[in-house]
Amino acid sequence: MEVTEVTKFLAETTPFDQLDADQLQALARQMSVYYFRAGEEVNTDSNRLMIVRTGVFSLYSDQQQLLTKLQSGDFYGYQQLLTDLSDQDTLLCDEDGLVYWLTAEGFQQIRYQFKNIELFFQRLFGRRLHQYKEQSTNRFTLKISDVAKARKVSISPDATVQQAAAQMTEQRVSSLLVEQNNKLVGIITDRDLRSRVVAEALPADSPVSDVMTSKPHTIDLHAYLFEAVQLMSQHNIHHLPVLRDEHLFGMITATDVIRAQQDHPVYLIGEIHRQHCEEGILQCASQILHLSQSLSNQQVPAHEASHVLTTVTDALTQSWIKLALKRLGPAPCVFTWLGFGSQARMEQGLNADQDNALLLEKEPEGEIAAYFEQLANIVCDGLNECGIVYCPGNIMASNPELRLSLKGWSKQFARWIQTPTQEALLKSSIFFDLRPIYGSKSLFNALQQDILARTKDKAVFLYHLSHNALKGTPPLGFFKTFTLERDGKQKKGLDLKKRGLILITDMARIYSLSKGISAINTRQRLIQLAQQKVMDAKDSQNLLDAFDVLAQLRWDKHQHDIAQGHEASNLLDPAVLSGLQRHQLKDVFEVINQAQSQMKYRFCREL
Amino acid sequence: MMFGWFKNPPLPMNEIVRNYENTPQPSPKTALSEVNFLVLDLELTGLDAKKDHIVSAGWVPIRHQEIMLGDSAHYLVKSPIGVGQSAVIHGVHDHQLKTGMELCELMAMLLQSYPGYVLVAHHAQMDLAFLTMACERCFGRSPKFKAIDTLKIEWQRLHNKGKVLTRDMLRLSSCLERHKLPKAPQHHALADAFACAQLLLSQIRQHSSSMTLGELQNLSR
Repeated sequence: MEVTEVTKFLAETTPFDQLDADQLQALARQMSVYYFRAGEEVNTDSNRLMIVRTGVFSLYSDQQQLLTKLQSGDFYGYQQLLTDLSDQDTLLCDEDGLVYWLTAEGFQQIRYQFKNIELFFQRLFGRRLHQYKEQSTNRFTLKISDVAKARKVSISPDATVQQAAAQMTEQRVSSLLVEQNNKLVGIITDRDLRSRVVAEALPADSPVSDVMTSKPHTIDLHAYLFEAVQLMSQHNIHHLPVLRDEHLFGMITATDVIRAQQDHPVYLIGEIHRQHCEEGILQCASQILHLSQSLSNQQVPAHEASHVLTTVTDALTQSWIKLALKRLGPAPCVFTWLGFGSQARMEQGLNADQDNALLLEKEPEGEIAAYFEQLANIVCDGLNECGIVYCPGNIMASNPELRLSLKGWSKQFARWIQTPTQEALLKSSIFFDLRPIYGSKSLFNALQQDILARTKDKAVFLYHLSHNALKGTPPLGFFKTFTLERDGKQKKGLDLKKRGLILITDMARIYSLSKGISAINTRQRLIQLAQQKVMDAKDSQNLLDAFDVLAQLRWDKHQHDIAQGHEASNLLDPAVLSGLQRHQLKDVFEVINQAQSQMKYRFCREL
Repeated sequence: MMFGWFKNPPLPMNEIVRNYENTPQPSPKTALSEVNFLVLDLELTGLDAKKDHIVSAGWVPIRHQEIMLGDSAHYLVKSPIGVGQSAVIHGVHDHQLKTGMELCELMAMLLQSYPGYVLVAHHAQMDLAFLTMACERCFGRSPKFKAIDTLKIEWQRLHNKGKVLTRDMLRLSSCLERHKLPKAPQHHALADAFACAQLLLSQIRQHSSSMTLGELQNLSR
């Protein structure tokens, strides 16, 4: 006989929703139920699967940064169960809740028995998403609840100041909440101990109530972070007790606020836009590395991190253009600054170089030509100094061949599309991913429409483009072994970009151009291709997953390289991967293989 | 495993009671995390232990403050008389009860499987009266059952908050709602026992983590 309350819940929870009644009952019998109180810490080393039934739990990294919130139907512990490695995470209960614990044996049984359940947890682990809830819409408006922890360190007003000092030292905090009968009556800080106890030579057994700040300012858990900043600066205080529904929740300090701001991309991007001089922009650019580290620490998925980094490049580009306009005077005609390649796709990594150009309303002749030459030089030089280095292939606005009018660009694209030679296309495929970074959007739209109208169903062009794309293959040898290659420094490894990411990017581009789809970002292209039924939904999803896995591996690799003081490299030694990751990577390459043969069939048949 | 006791030669009836009594209950000083609980619910044909009968029993143990679903159990009991009117409430029908278990088998299993466990029930007084009566009928005499009562704990909790109490507020369903716990389907012995177990954990969590069994027993008076 089963407890229907539990089996009913499991039946509605992915991935268990595919089990029948008997299987659900057997699964439930391997579980136990535990009730967590807010503030209670979950033992993350229990080697069991935790299934959240009710309540809210916050997962923090060993750097004490919030990774994610777990809610009903979310899981924890699968990392350890899949890999035997324990995380250094901290899991805290925010709101009282029930969890179901599934024993390790129960977990292993169910995942060996059901391929889809195995796959579900591998994906969860592989992407390291931690059920990352889509918060992109409000990511720029941090709330107190995103920063404050449900950990209240409190003392009674009758305790002595010595006890207060001892507790602060022991708990490593700079302030204590003073609580009586579950009510906040004051706060006491290390500064109070200094200025009101030691400086006044009060005895160590003076009661806390004598020196505390009574009736302190407080802030609600659901308030915005900037409200805390306002309160703190307005009253010159560094500690604010946090209340939830009138009940004491914890404390937020000035340090918490500063840390949250530094780590938040919006502050850097905002900062860049406020700069009016070279030094200011360069100063901001020097923080990119720090930003990427904090993105990585917070386990922001790679595709989101790339998006943020691209936004920073955009902001830097825009700042340099504004600076150039100030220096050179207003532009003699309408123009658009174009970004190509990874910047256009919002997929920049840490080692991205420049790929840009200018689209002009009028023909670049005489004064107009001279003006935009100067503008392009200022911007390209500036970006180079910011660490976004010159393009080795000279695909930059500073190259006069890439400062063209709409007519000039249109002719250029027409040449590539109508009489494609493989050599020309090999160099030009990067131009087919383009996005306006600054200036007139309508000028850009006119160009994009022109290009898409030309590429749609253009068999010869698509043939050559596909043919080029198929020259790169995933690094899988016979018998599914990895084939390694060497870089200039004789290091062996898998090239995650050339033999992985680019192959997917190329395919997404070719399919999109064949149907006039205007999306540029690879993930968005794949999603739209499935929606418009150009690509099978399952194939699109597989490629998307493969892309995410590769992007994540590359992002982690770059972070690792930089932390070691090396240059970010795309070459990954498969020996550093866990068995599970290796297995997953082979799947990824297999997916690419299959997609490539489908593309070949579709676009490369004899014309 | 569940029926393991049945395969062994059955003990003489009076020894079942004696063995149960000889296994000590944990001392009041025991920390709650070390106490084994058995949360139990009975569905009955009426309210009078002398006249009415147990229709079904559900229970689930709590060890180290975890409700052990693998050991949860639900049994229909063969009834000497028809279920009559109460079938409307419990959804248990006479023909189901014919396939059920003898009352004495059930009682022997309970006493032999869970000696030393602290019993828990919602409105425990009623369940204990029926258990006692059942033991007397089956074994000639009954252990002196004691139980933690989640209803009484809830009563004290609300009383201390200065709330004016009505009968409805102490019903299991009202308690679950107040503690923001999942609802239980009404009048199913195991579902109710499970719900009561969750209620107990929530009630315990309102207090310090070092709470002892004695302190909990005081709240349940």
